[in-house]
Parts: sequence; structure tokens; C-alpha cells
Amino acid sequence: MELVREVLRYLGAGQSAPESLYREASELLAELQSGIQPRYVYRLFPVRRENGAFCLQDTSIVLCGHTVRTMLEDCDAVFLLVCTLGAAFDNMFRAARARDMSKAVILDACGSALTEAGCDAAEHELSARCPGRFLTDRFSPGYGDMPLSLQADICGVLNASRRLGVCVTDSMTLNPQKSVTAVIGVANRPQKARVRGCAYCDMKETCTLRKSGASCQI
Amino acid sequence: MNFPFWDGETPLLLDGAMGTILQERGMKPGTQPELLNLSDPALIASVHRDYLKAGSRVLYSNTFGANAHKLRKSGKSVRAVISAGIAIAKREASAYSAAVALDIGPLGELLEPMGTLSFEAAYELFREMAVAGAESGADLVVIETMTDLYEAKAALLAVKENTTLPVFVTMSFDETGRTFTGCTVASIARTLEGLGADAIGLNCSTGPDRMSPLLRELSENTRLPVIAKPNAGLPDPVTGQYDMEPDTFAATLADCLEYVSIVGGCCGTSPEYIRRLRETVSGKRVHANAVQLPSFVCTPVAPCKITGVRVIGERINPTGKKRFQQALLENDLDYILDVAVKQEDAGADILDVNVGFPGVDEVSMLPRVVKKLQSAVSLPLQLDSSNPDALEAGLRVYNGKAAVNSVNGNREVLERVLPVVKKYGAAVVGLTLDKNGIPQTAAERVAIAERILDAALSYGIPKEDVWIDCLTLTVSAQQEQAMETLNALRHVREVLGLQTVLGVSNISFGLPNRGLIARTFLTQAMQCGLTLPIINPNQQDMMDAVTAYRVLSGEDAQCRAYIARFADAAPVTQTAVSGNSATIQDAIVKGLQAEAARLAKAALQENAQQSRDNAELSETPASDNPELSETPASDNPELSETPASDNPELSIVERELIPALDRVGEAYEQGKAFLPQLLSAAQAAQAVFEVLRESLAERGGASVQKGTIIVATVQGDIHDIGKNIVKTVLENYGYHVVDLGRDVPPETVVEAVTARNVKLVGLSALMTTTLPAMEETVKQLKQLASPPVIMVGGAVVTPEYAAHMGADYYAKDAKASAEIAKKVLG
Repeated sequence: MELVREVLRYLGAGQSAPESLYREASELLAELQSGIQPRYVYRLFPVRRENGAFCLQDTSIVLCGHTVRTMLEDCDAVFLLVCTLGAAFDNMFRAARARDMSKAVILDACGSALTEAGCDAAEHELSARCPGRFLTDRFSPGYGDMPLSLQADICGVLNASRRLGVCVTDSMTLNPQKSVTAVIGVANRPQKARVRGCAYCDMKETCTLRKSGASCQI
Repeated sequence: MNFPFWDGETPLLLDGAMGTILQERGMKPGTQPELLNLSDPALIASVHRDYLKAGSRVLYSNTFGANAHKLRKSGKSVRAVISAGIAIAKREASAYSAAVALDIGPLGELLEPMGTLSFEAAYELFREMAVAGAESGADLVVIETMTDLYEAKAALLAVKENTTLPVFVTMSFDETGRTFTGCTVASIARTLEGLGADAIGLNCSTGPDRMSPLLRELSENTRLPVIAKPNAGLPDPVTGQYDMEPDTFAATLADCLEYVSIVGGCCGTSPEYIRRLRETVSGKRVHANAVQLPSFVCTPVAPCKITGVRVIGERINPTGKKRFQQALLENDLDYILDVAVKQEDAGADILDVNVGFPGVDEVSMLPRVVKKLQSAVSLPLQLDSSNPDALEAGLRVYNGKAAVNSVNGNREVLERVLPVVKKYGAAVVGLTLDKNGIPQTAAERVAIAERILDAALSYGIPKEDVWIDCLTLTVSAQQEQAMETLNALRHVREVLGLQTVLGVSNISFGLPNRGLIARTFLTQAMQCGLTLPIINPNQQDMMDAVTAYRVLSGEDAQCRAYIARFADAAPVTQTAVSGNSATIQDAIVKGLQAEAARLAKAALQENAQQSRDNAELSETPASDNPELSETPASDNPELSETPASDNPELSIVERELIPALDRVGEAYEQGKAFLPQLLSAAQAAQAVFEVLRESLAERGGASVQKGTIIVATVQGDIHDIGKNIVKTVLENYGYHVVDLGRDVPPETVVEAVTARNVKLVGLSALMTTTLPAMEETVKQLKQLASPPVIMVGGAVVTPEYAAHMGADYYAKDAKASAEIAKKVLG
């Protein structure tokens, strides 16, 4: 999906966005991209299955739960990934917020879209590193029954604070604000897309898009 | 360059990586390395020993993460871990007469404004480490792998104020030439040197090859010895192995000895790397950095070298500004930030900050304003106060290198203020006046300037940090003084070689066409050597004069800035819609801030005129005007009184503002308008509100308010964009919103509600992990004698959970919160 469309989707505008909003989002996105690039670190870990849980080699991380079992069913290895736009985005956002809340809100949506695009780029790179292998959809702590506390483990094992400047607070928020952690399984045969769809989403009860008959198409 | 452990003439050899070596030697994954000081001291000792054998003469103790925050789940105290770590290192080091450095790394939590850890709290965490290290007998302290200059400052101050140990500071820069938080090499160099570090440099992130140009740049920006502790190249993303061999590492690092004098290795290095390094640098000599430094102030991301004209914005000052005074007394920091932002956007290079006014506690206000400004404005600040305690409080929390306005020729002032200036590494403005007032001749002013310079030098303040203000007098009152000022200025610049500051607004007081005199004087002054004019950057003609001067002086290479400023000479707001908005309401709905404000001003002026007209009409006795008294009012509509409002501001709010916001709100509900448009309209409404507030401030009338609402993001949650959107919308419906911020403990909300007797509270949370804090806050509020109405919102909050918590309302978005406010407060 064209990146601007992603931005509009985050703003709740989707297909019916007026021309002026489309233009403003495009301009802000261009401004953002000219100064800030997503950065990421990742590492490949062989996994060992033990009693329905997945133990990552050379770490103390054990992935368990229904979501993990579903996603990693076929996998003998996983990539752990942390991607961030860095503190530069937070600086830009605070400066925008002090001047124009409307712009700040659009900029926030641009940041989310750009971070996801960064994860897409990382996945592309990961793919190239394991030719002949197949990746699952990326999934993150907080999806399904994957505990949020895994954020701290992933960042710890990838040394995210030293290598990307990403910290985890006690309530498991990532700082800087446009940062994500993810797990991607690696298998020997093509993997079903699984993360997409309303049925899997925790927000399905209160989602305003669903109420209006649309979907976010994740 | 004089430490007991170093002669300063040959390269000083630090050690290499600890973490990666420990992993190799069997440390279990997920272990905190510092805890091994207690559980496996022999392992740590063996690593130290191997580095000593390889040639290290300074050992970094295994205490990188030994702060209370990182140790909070370990059950071990900072003191225990640090004293064990230092003891192990000292035992090994004694055989080699090597020094032991207390190693202090980042806290693992982000400081304000990005995180919620305050500067003061960070200082306390570092203080605990510094004291433990000094008491355990460390020979020096190293503060390393810092990426946030603010955090480095907290650590450096903690060490300097609580120990007498030498202190090294190294920061981590990536290949873009900045740290993760955007710090530049020049900014960190000048700031850390000013704060009293004994040596500074870079460590981690990259190998010596990519670090080398940054090290060179660092050496050009400091007089201190430079430290280089790079990684063994870069790690492979799949294997984690570092890609640079010991030979290459040593050779590349040795090439840097021209500008570096202290070397070691970081991640991926081992005793082998240090051994090769020692062999390669053996016999080489190093020398002190004898570099001339230019005048300089900065924030971490914005270095400001004074190598030409730099505009200091004067607008943050309550003198003669009723609205600003009101904002200070009401603690309206957002207003002050707005004044700053407008100056930044108009092209100011530095901002003067003055918050001194009767009724304002400057000592607490100035640091709060400094923190607020540096969260959203990237320009360096000049702290302006006659209260030395306020200056100190402001300088302490300032992130970067500031300027201080001012000292003068008065000895008591110099003795009180210069030590503070020195401690925090600031530049200082000296006014050429003293106890006898402002001297009438240039020569006398120069004499005071020399006195100020001598005093500053005697406190160890370098010459480039002394800026002189020769003072501007009103030309219509003392005409010959204009030339005296200019002559003094020229002498200070050309003979004394100092930067010159001058506020020019005074010159034209009492004359017509003030702008012309001010502009001309400004240009004259710049030609005489004025480098730091204090002006209102929002005054276009003054900035035009500066822009033109920069062309003629050659500072604006190829006239680029001049062309950019004037080439598109057509006014910016030349859109089709300007002037087409018939009503304030229309302008707000369209989100046109300037237009809405203009129409509001016009409406107020019209109303004022109408009041005056009505007053005249009602004063004409009917008997003097027989025709009038016989004409029924309805036959002569022009003569009948048009009612002028007693409270024109309130009627604009009710007739134009609220209906406009309701219109946009409805469109938003129907999916015809979206959040950005809701916010543009809210901001246009805000612009109108500002016009109304100014008018009320002039009149001395009470503000337009419909009740106070407290909003906060709950404890543990740092997301506040939703809350800020709600705040913007609520303010523009006329409510006074008190924003407690983010990560707010329940007790703080309760306190604020009680203190201000507030009837409506809005709480937001984004994370499932912080919902319990929201529940607790609601619970505590409901226990009050007369509890407020509570509305809750946020991505994870649902109507069911809101009810379960005991909240009164669930607000699904900002518009809903405005409706709730209407219901509750009216």
C-alpha cells in the first residue's frame, strides 16, 4: 500500500480523505523521510521446542502461548527484530506539537507508517539472508496472548539500548515513541498469513472502523 | 593534563570490552554482568588481569550498569556491587601500578522530555554511584557510552559535586556523526569541557575507522585530552561477531594519535586487541590540544558558533507586556513556549529568557521555563535575571551551553555571579555600567569592559565566553550617546577582541518612525562590530536589515539566505480563501488561524467604536434637537442606538466560536471531516481566544472561562497525544484545562483536584499495563468528601471497563469529552 494511504488509514480517513488532507499528509511524510530513516537490529536464533514452548538458543527467552504456537508451528528458528525512528522523531514531534496540533497528529500517523515501513524493509533484508527459507508474518508482544513483558526480553537480548537507543519502561512502553519489537519465524516451507483479520484482533469490540463497516486491512 | 596515573606525554592505555569477554567465558545469557562482582569475583578478576598483562594502565571497574534503577530487581545494593567491583580491580591493578576507574554507564531509562525521569532524579542515581566509588578508593571516574548529553551532565555534576576524583566522559556517536538523541560533536565538546570534565571522547557504536573523523572534529572543539575507545568494527547481524581484526584495529587507532591521547577498546575487543594496540603505539608521543576556540553557545542538537551576526530574540520578557505578565502569574508555560516558537520560526539564533516580575518566584520559575522551552525549541538560551539564585537554578537544568545576562562592573555582582557562570560553563554578558550608573563616554565604558574581562579571566572563564554590552540610550534624550555607544562597541570588538551584545530597541523611544531609527542604528552597530543584537525577530524590517548586512559582510555566502528570504516576494498567505470568510465562524471552520484572529480583532474594534458612538448619542439632550425628538426611532433606523455588548469577548465566544466548533464536530461525527481538520479548527479558535484574552487583559476584565477541568495520563503511561488533543478541544470550548502531564501518580491527581476544587477530571491510558493505575486513581478520587465527575478514555479503555472502574463517563474521543464537559460544567 502506498505509504501516504497508510498514513491516512492511521488517521481514520482511509478511502474518503479530502484532497487537502491527502496533500498535507504527503508533504509531512516527505519532510519526515528527508530527515529520518528507520533503523533496526535483528538476530537469528535457532529454537528448540520443549513442552509446547519455544526456547531461543543462547538466551533465557522462552516463547509460549497460543499465538506463538500457531505462528511458529513449522519453525526451527526465529528472527528477533527491533526497529525505531529514534529520538529525532520525538524531537520533531514535540516541536510540531508546540506549533500546530493538527500537523502533529498527521506527523504522528506518518511516524507510525514509516516505522512499519522500516519493519518491512528489515523483513526484506532477513529474507535475503536465508535463501531457500520462508518467513512467517511478523508478530509482536501484545498480539493475541503474547505477553507484553517480552518487549523487555527482546530489547535486552538484542542490546537495543546500546545499539539503537531504545529503552523499555516498567509498564513495557518503548521509548522513543516510534519503536517496535517483533518476532519472525523461519521455516522450510511457505507460511500462511495469519496476523491479518478482525477475528485475531483485541480491538474488535471497540474498533471504530469495524463499527462503520470498514476494516484497517492489517 | 596532570593526573597521578599519567604523565600526559605518551598515550594512556585503557582496557577493552568486559561484556563480550564474559559471554565468551561462560556468563549465562540474561545475567547482569555487575552481579558477578558478588557471585563470581574470580571471573572478573581474571579478565582484569588479562588486560593488565596486555598493557592496560587504566581498568574500568565492572560497574557499568550498577545503578539503583538497573539493580532494582536484583536484591543487591549499589554500594555492595560497586565496592566489590572496585576492590576486585584494585587488587589486580596494584601489581601493575595501574589506575582503577569507577565505570558509570547510562541509567537504562530515558530522561525528560522524552522519558519521565527527571534531571534531578537522574542526578541522585549517579550521586549514589559516585559516592560509593570514591569511598571504595577509585582513582578516577569514567562516564561512558552516553548518548544523551543531559544524562551525561547529570552524571558529571554528580561526580564533581560529590567527589574530588578526575572524571573522563565519553559519548557514543553513530556513523551519521550524531548520537541517538541527535547531539553534535561540537555541542558535547564545548558543553562537557565547560562543565569541568578532565578528558572527553567517544566510545562504542563504531570501529576506529568510522570514529576517526569524529575524533578529529572533537579535537578541534576542545582543549581537553581526547579519548578513543572504539568497537572492533561492526557486529554481523546473524552471527553477532565483530568484523575487525586486532591488527587493523590497532593500526587505525594509532593513526589517530595526532589528535587523540587516550586509547582503548570497546565491544568486540579482547586482551589481544589491547596487546596489539600497546605494541603499535609504543614509543609514540602525544601532545596537548592547543586549539583556539570560537565563541559558542548550544543545545545538544544545535551548535551556535558566533562567527558572524547572531540574533538574540528579546520577546520572552514581561516588561511592558500585560499578556505575558498574566501568563507568568497563571503559570501558563504554553503561552511562553508559543512566544519562543514564533521567534525561532522568525529566524532568531538565540533566545533571551526573562521571567522576573513581582509575584513570580524566579528561582523556581526560570528552571521550569528552561525545561519547557528546551523540550520543543532547539535554540540556545540566554538566561536573563538579576537574581543569582535564579540564574544558578536555570543553568543547572539547562541542556547544553547557555549564556547569562548579565554581570556589570560592580564588584559584588561579579563576585556573586561569575563563579556560577564558571561552574556551568556558560558565556556571560557584561554590561558596561557600575555603581555610578552608565558612563557618558566610550572610554569609560571600555574601562568597565576591561574590568569585567579581567574578573572573568581570574575565575577561569575563557575570553571567548565574555560578551560585552555597551548599552543603548535613547537618542531623542541623549543624542550624542549614540556615537559613544558605537565607539565603545568598536573598541571592544577590535581591540579587546570580545563578542558584543546590544539591545537596540531603546534608541528610538519617543521618536516618530521608530523602526527607521532602530534599523539604521542596528546596521551602524553591526558595521562597528556588533555580533549579538538583541531584537524582536518578529519585526520583519529588523530581520531584513540583518539579512542584508550578512550579504554585505560576506557571511551569507553567495547571498543564499538573502535570496531565499526575498525571491518569493509574494506574501505567504496569498490563498484564494483569504478575505472570503465573511464571519469568524467561517474562518474557524476552515482552520484559518490568521484570518480568524483578524476578524476577531476587527469585531472587537467595531464594538468599541459602537460603544463610543452610543455614548455620544445618549449624551445629546432631546430638547436641543427637536427633529430628533419627534422622529420615532423606527422611522430612522440609523439614528436608533445599536446595542454594543458589555462583554464583547464573551459574545464572540457564544455567537461565533462555539457554533463553529459544533459545526466541525458534527462533520467529524458524520465522517465528513477528520481529526486534523477538527484540530485546525480548534487552533483557529485558539487564535481567536488569544485575541480575546489580550483584549480582556488590556481592559482588566475577568477571563472567559466556563469551569476548570483536570486532565492527566495515568501513572506508568507516557503516551499523551490523545490527552493533548482532548486538551486542545476543551480549551477551545472555553474551559480552563489544567494538564498534569503524563505518568501521573493517583495522589498527584487527588492533590490537584482538592487544591483547585475541580469538578471534572479526565484520565487517559494507552497501555493495558497502566489500566490498574487508572482504576486506582478513580478509586482514590471517589473517596474524597465531594468527589469530582470522572471521564476516562484512551485506546484500551472500553465503556464496560470504564463502568467497572467506577468512572462516571466513557469518552470515546475528544468531541465526546467536550459534550461531557458541557453536561457537567455547562
